[in-house]
Amino acid sequence: MAELTLTTFDWVPELPRGFVRDLRVRWALEEAGLPYRVASVPFGDRKPEHFAHQPFGQVPWLTDGDLSIFESGAILLHLGQLSAALIPPDPRGRSEATEWVFAALNSVEMASLPWALLKFTGNASDTPGWKFLDDFLKLRLKHMEAALAGREWLAGSFSVADILMSDVLRLVDRFDGLAEYSACRDYVARATARPAFVKARADQMAHFAAADGRTG
Amino acid sequence: MTIIITAFERSPDGGMGLARDTRVRWALEEVRQPYGVRLVSFRAMKEPAHLALHPFGQIPTYEEGDLALFETGSIVFHLAERHAGLLPDDADARARAITWVFAALNTVEPPILELVTAKIFEGDRPWTKERLPLVEDRVRERLKQLSARLGRADWLDGGFSAGDLMMVSVLLRLKPSGLLNEYPNLAAYLARGEARPAYKRAFDAQLAVNTGKLPGG
Repeated sequence: MAELTLTTFDWVPELPRGFVRDLRVRWALEEAGLPYRVASVPFGDRKPEHFAHQPFGQVPWLTDGDLSIFESGAILLHLGQLSAALIPPDPRGRSEATEWVFAALNSVEMASLPWALLKFTGNASDTPGWKFLDDFLKLRLKHMEAALAGREWLAGSFSVADILMSDVLRLVDRFDGLAEYSACRDYVARATARPAFVKARADQMAHFAAADGRTG
Repeated sequence: MTIIITAFERSPDGGMGLARDTRVRWALEEVRQPYGVRLVSFRAMKEPAHLALHPFGQIPTYEEGDLALFETGSIVFHLAERHAGLLPDDADARARAITWVFAALNTVEPPILELVTAKIFEGDRPWTKERLPLVEDRVRERLKQLSARLGRADWLDGGFSAGDLMMVSVLLRLKPSGLLNEYPNLAAYLARGEARPAYKRAFDAQLAVNTGKLPGG
């Protein structure tokens, strides 16, 4: 198998640490037990080489031999082809995992990211704009609560869909947005108790902390 | 096996083609699969029968024998994987095309949706006037990067793929804003997408529903 290389920033400020999206890819790689290498690009000065791999100047991206892909959803579906630990091998499980991958990124995160951004910037005040985003997220969470009440994982067994959905919900939880959604909360707790998540998170924290040492 | 999708009984956009069933119709037309449509009312979308198909109570859904799918992205992905026409044969090129599907849905669409909802639902309230330029700048940032990547190419990575279908569909939401005119290569990209016969058939089919002129009675 070609060598897998995950690229992330060399350093980020304290606040996003533990939530940078390379964590999703690290987590999947750890779940699958696939060997990989981590490479860095400058956070501050994003060069043409960076945009050649990631046209939006973001991270992460993954190279697999000659192939270079970005978008955490695409990377996780790609890794899913390499390991049954990431996508159930039966057709039904595979369909379910795929639809929940898209649901996490295009239905739930679509609502949670603008919500979290306002929380993050301290603009979650009593305005109609905030209320609109808050209602949008609550609508999604209400449906997720129902979906998660009856199951341990989204597609039968644990899959990349759970990595993405729990990571999306984890950011909401960080700002106490899951207080009234116990099934969502339990689900996040279940997912983040997995050894692969614990290692992925610790590795990300250590990666950025090491850069503090180099610059400080 | 018959394919059945769901669509709005009456789309909120009145047939502009921005409801997400258009994306699925377009994919079905590109891969030349016949399909039927079940129209659902806003009330029916929130009832148990539809919620069993779609946990968020939305359209479109996709049924084919025992298989039931929700999420536009997953339906288009399913069609692209099983039929020729939306993904290249080469494995690496396929992975890159799928990357563009996600880039459309998870990187480009979020700020666009924020802009559209700010304009439609929030009108000219004072706080919207304050926020709108910020959201517009976030959209411009993405368009600038997308424009730089597309350059002079016809499509995002080689031939037309599911990635282009989704990116064009997402950009279509921006048409009324005029923002795309600031990026001529993206405006031309959009026009190329709209000129595809499969898109035209999909657009006409949803328009017929929304103007009450159902084809074939």
